[in-house]
Amino acid sequence: MLAIARSELIQIFRNRMVLVTSFVIPVAVSAFFVYRHEVFAQLASFGYIAAIIMFTVGAFGLYTSIVTTLASRRQNLFLKRLRSTAESDAGILAGLVTPATVVALVQLTGILIVFGLVAGRPDNVPLLVLAVLATVAMMVGLALATAGVTNSPEHAQVTTLPVSLGVIAVSSWVGITGTAELELVKRLLPGGAATELMLNAWNGGVALSDSLVLLGPTFAWVVVAVSFANRMFRWEPRR
Amino acid sequence: MSTTPVIEVERLNLKYGDFHAVRDLSFEVRPGELYALLGTNGAGKTSTLETVEGHRVPTSGTVRVFGQSPRDRKAVRPRMGIMLQDSGFSPDLTVRESVGLIGGLTRRDDDVDRVVDLVGLNHRAGTLVGQLSGGEKRRLDFATAVYGTPELIFLDEPTTGLDIQSRDDLWDAVDRLRENGSTVVLTTHYLEEAQQRADRIGLMHKGVFHREGTVAELTRTLPAVITFTPSATAPALPLPVAAAADGSVRVETFHLQKDLHLLLAWAQDHAVELRDLSAGPTRLDDVFRAIES
Repeated sequence: MLAIARSELIQIFRNRMVLVTSFVIPVAVSAFFVYRHEVFAQLASFGYIAAIIMFTVGAFGLYTSIVTTLASRRQNLFLKRLRSTAESDAGILAGLVTPATVVALVQLTGILIVFGLVAGRPDNVPLLVLAVLATVAMMVGLALATAGVTNSPEHAQVTTLPVSLGVIAVSSWVGITGTAELELVKRLLPGGAATELMLNAWNGGVALSDSLVLLGPTFAWVVVAVSFANRMFRWEPRR
Repeated sequence: MSTTPVIEVERLNLKYGDFHAVRDLSFEVRPGELYALLGTNGAGKTSTLETVEGHRVPTSGTVRVFGQSPRDRKAVRPRMGIMLQDSGFSPDLTVRESVGLIGGLTRRDDDVDRVVDLVGLNHRAGTLVGQLSGGEKRRLDFATAVYGTPELIFLDEPTTGLDIQSRDDLWDAVDRLRENGSTVVLTTHYLEEAQQRADRIGLMHKGVFHREGTVAELTRTLPAVITFTPSATAPALPLPVAAAADGSVRVETFHLQKDLHLLLAWAQDHAVELRDLSAGPTRLDDVFRAIES
């Protein structure tokens, strides 16, 4: 698994297109949110900005990157090649998604630290870490599921749009309007509960037990996505 | 050396939707032999090979490699090397990195530079795979298959796209592996390679096994052919004619030497010139054509 992860990291840094679209753009967008945080805070709260940063990196830096990587590795038969070795399927997938996941976590950590220094410390850092980890797990699960219906890297530009734009839209909806109305709907949508968790972690004012409940819908999406991927994921191009 | 088969295939069936790619296929491969699986396009060779390798699940039937399911990768793969028909390497990794990665994942020990050198890619070791020619990619593929000298090696169209020198080098390397006891399963479109190298051959057509045996056993099933054009005034021929057209005669025989001698003696006795005389043993191509027709 580690050998695959290492080779994947090498490939990411050798491919300028991947490097720019998956890593430079999310950081640039996040930097813009941090720079203009006072404007966005008027719209909602600092917690909302943190949630938007989390989903920008999660959607474009992590989710899109993993879907594109898996589609590309399948298309050029690299997945089949890896399966001709003694490595397990789980080990192969873990090796392929780990570099993008680690890079996304490093990006998020760095950006949120900078945001905390600029806008003020979050209310509950451990809860914030939990919100980030849960969101990353959900985005990885959704990426595996989407990769199952993505034939090529070019196709990924289309198949990743609904989830990428969807989670950012849900995050903005929940972040700006709160969950006083349509609470259940907002929490059940992908990214809704995670956004609320982030709002609670950054802004505070909500009992910890009420916040931890929000992990349920987020992890439920992980389970749904992984079971979908389990049925839909293909290791070779369609014949 | 053990006589327990390395590969056992019993009543294998493979279906893709309504398409029945392989029907009731049974064969075994013995330790140390080079077994060639040959067939026409779409005969089901690669499907069969990929099932034996563990890449596909049989629709029905059983496949065992070293007595185990080939899908048990942890148990079986360290003992087998696979040269796929298609490249399947990342264009953004170098030759050395690719051999190191795939070779390492087989759980066999070897020296990456030794293997790169073995396939003649040492001068390209630091080159990205995306910059290699088709033939160089085949050699890279071969390198990962023979990394760590596996007990069983699958070669799927190994010499396609290789120049003559590279082909010879590849077969020399295969010979050395066989001297060390490796078993080889080969598919190829180059019948002369199979004819020269295979201990036994399985011939497939439309998903079915038509014949199996040594080259001698397979070619023995068809007559050898003598063709010539006798002069117009020649008396009756001493052998039965299988076909005649435009003055040219075709004789088929299971006793080539005896009948050729008879024909030449007859020509000598009657002062008959046999123009365009040609005689040769049955070749694998002939067996192949017979199956196709």
